[in-house]
Amino acid sequence: MPTTLLELRGVGKVFGGTVALSATSLAIEEGSFVAIVGPSGCGKSTMFNIIAGLVAPDGGDVVLRGATITATTGHVGYMLQKDLLVPWRTVEDNITMATRLTRRVTDEDRAEARRVARQYGLGEFLRHYPSALSGGMRQRVAFMRTLVTHHELLLLDEPFGALDAQTRLEMQEWLLQVWKDTGRTVLFITHDVDESIFLSDRIVVMSPRPGRVVADLANPLARPRGIHTLLEPDFIALKAKVLGLLHGGAA
Amino acid sequence: MRRRVLLNVGVPILSLVLVLVVWQLIVVGFHVASYIAPRPREAITSVTSQWSTLWPLILGTIRETIYGYVIGAALGFVLGVVMAKIAIVQRLVYPVILVSQAVPVIALAPVLVIILGFGIVPKIVIVTWIVFFPVTVNVLDGLGHVDPDLKNLARVYGASRWRTFVQIEVPASTTPLFSGLKIGAIYAVTGAIIGELAASEGNSLALYQEHANSNLNTAAVYGTTMVMTLIGIAWFLLVVGLEIWSTPWQRRTVARRRWRRGSDGGAG
Repeated sequence: MPTTLLELRGVGKVFGGTVALSATSLAIEEGSFVAIVGPSGCGKSTMFNIIAGLVAPDGGDVVLRGATITATTGHVGYMLQKDLLVPWRTVEDNITMATRLTRRVTDEDRAEARRVARQYGLGEFLRHYPSALSGGMRQRVAFMRTLVTHHELLLLDEPFGALDAQTRLEMQEWLLQVWKDTGRTVLFITHDVDESIFLSDRIVVMSPRPGRVVADLANPLARPRGIHTLLEPDFIALKAKVLGLLHGGAA
Repeated sequence: MRRRVLLNVGVPILSLVLVLVVWQLIVVGFHVASYIAPRPREAITSVTSQWSTLWPLILGTIRETIYGYVIGAALGFVLGVVMAKIAIVQRLVYPVILVSQAVPVIALAPVLVIILGFGIVPKIVIVTWIVFFPVTVNVLDGLGHVDPDLKNLARVYGASRWRTFVQIEVPASTTPLFSGLKIGAIYAVTGAIIGELAASEGNSLALYQEHANSNLNTAAVYGTTMVMTLIGIAWFLLVVGLEIWSTPWQRRTVARRRWRRGSDGGAG
């Protein structure tokens, strides 16, 4: 019986009369990779902001490893489509930025940042400022910043949404590698169905007006995954199913 | 690198030399009498020949400028921060500081003399008065435009307001902050000279120029003006230098060694 890391118990949010997220319950297993897919306005970012503690839900609770963390921050790793690297810090100092925001950065923190950067292909850029990096490299730095916070749960909100298709595929494979190495639990928002299937163990499909979960699908595709995965019959079948859910049974 | 230095230093110097050349051509070409406008060389000589008299006066003006500028910049920064952070303070204070800047400083000077007497204090107050405003406005503007997503990220990581301010908001506002500091630097000397005109009983650069003027020593009037201008430009360049030194990321792709405390790695 796998352990539940995160549990949403009937959390919902109304913004000015619009139901951004209707009361939602969801349990996320430790170490799993869960994709949340849906069109804009389906409440996926609201759900993330509630889990991160940025938005207080109208009702319900957010429970992380048995402890209620509703409307409190500092419990999860969090990454957006915008890398949010600060231009005045080097790559190394950007990786330790989350630490710097809560306490003094130690030599161990720096050493870890360098180790992670070297391990995942950014060792040569530790002293560079972010302005010198490409979009894909910047997202890697942003992800490492998320990683070294040592939070078990990582919330990734369309982190590769702004990258070109080629770079995006590279980043997806890279992310799967890091996920496998570190054993973290990932909650990954995307509107790209292919991406949600390629990455996840499980796909939560959401729908707008009102924002809600409409399906929760297990992803049977074997790991490790690669470009070949995109052509497997299981992949196509799952894609047809998700597209059908998103577009009202069109498939 | 050499080409960049040439462009950034050589061209501005060349343009200033051109101003002197045009000045010379106008005076000579139109046969302007030297009591109306001296030649550049005469203006410069009027300064160098009186250097031992002028130097203490120049130091006095520089002192007033520095004191007033540092106080004004610090006050401006603090005021900008407090106004950005506390909405009611902003509503209360903004009209007052706008009015303070609408008051002609020349008209203000005699009032300051009445209150503060002669000496260095009224001059410092005038410089402060002029300098704080662009700093406040730019800091207020800069802090108001920090990326809200970046502030949210800091919140998600559990950052305190203080750490968010120091680590995110202040460095994100350096460009507007230095805009304010540079505008202030250029006007600071003007403030000091206005103060000297209104509130000097003994010697000052401004009074030296007034004496030269009443003695029809036009060359010295021009020369003193050049000296005042040079003080202003030197001060401005100092602030520009401070900006370049403190914001290496705006020109460099790789950090210098001293910017990475405790690092040992990175082939860079």
